[in-house]
Amino acid sequence: MIIPLPHFLVVSALLFALGIFGALTRRNAIGILMSIELILNSANLNFVAFGRAWGAPDGAPQVVALIVIGIAAAGAVVGLALVLAIYRHRQTISADEIKLLKG
Amino acid sequence: MSQIVGPFELAAKAAFYVVAAGTLAGAWAAVSARNLFRAALGLAVALFGVAILYLFLEAEFLAVAQILVYVGAILTLLIFGVMLTARIADPAVPRWNRQAGVTLALTAVLGLGLAHLLARTPWIVRAGSEPVKLPVLGQTLLSTYLLPFELLSVLLLGALVGAIFIARKEKE
Repeated sequence: MIIPLPHFLVVSALLFALGIFGALTRRNAIGILMSIELILNSANLNFVAFGRAWGAPDGAPQVVALIVIGIAAAGAVVGLALVLAIYRHRQTISADEIKLLKG
Repeated sequence: MSQIVGPFELAAKAAFYVVAAGTLAGAWAAVSARNLFRAALGLAVALFGVAILYLFLEAEFLAVAQILVYVGAILTLLIFGVMLTARIADPAVPRWNRQAGVTLALTAVLGLGLAHLLARTPWIVRAGSEPVKLPVLGQTLLSTYLLPFELLSVLLLGALVGAIFIARKEKE
């Protein structure tokens, strides 16, 4: 590898922290979905970087990353469907205004 | 790749830092932009940057899959969602909730601490390992990991049906 492994790990860690920050603080539900995509991407980057550094001969880390991409797609689809349904009923997608279950 | 020397290596390193900085800047825009459409564009930059980082790791198939699925499909979907729900650019709507300051401090500690730890740890790296060839990757995906692959297709089908069911118009 031309670029040493820790460089990728640092990028991935910062991406993860940004994603966590967005997921915890965004008021807009779609913003939260976006942040979750960032977190999944940072995990994927870690998988592939470690796999390349270890030289996994069968490419298992890349297979894991591909499956994670697929699951992220499924999650985004269902999440957006929920967001649209909530918007139709409540005219808002702010996460802190959706508190039907709060007594 | 280890036999490459001199100016190419330097250029590759410079390109890596530019791409990494661009990825992180895009991610920051995605979590901080007031206008949600701009946040989506920042996310596009970040996802594209990760795809280029995959190229640096010599995972070409994954880079193409990342661009096709994330930039092509998920991002389009997110932008649809942004446009279908109003008030995206209203400056009166705060972008973060009230805990943003504390969370920013905590996640900064988390991210920088993690980065510091990961950069200091002496990782065991196998020198001179070859990148995975595409036929080998396909073999692995459809032999050893066939069950998760098929489960994923069932999951996607379930997500498809579920999303249509949740998002359709209800009859009065």
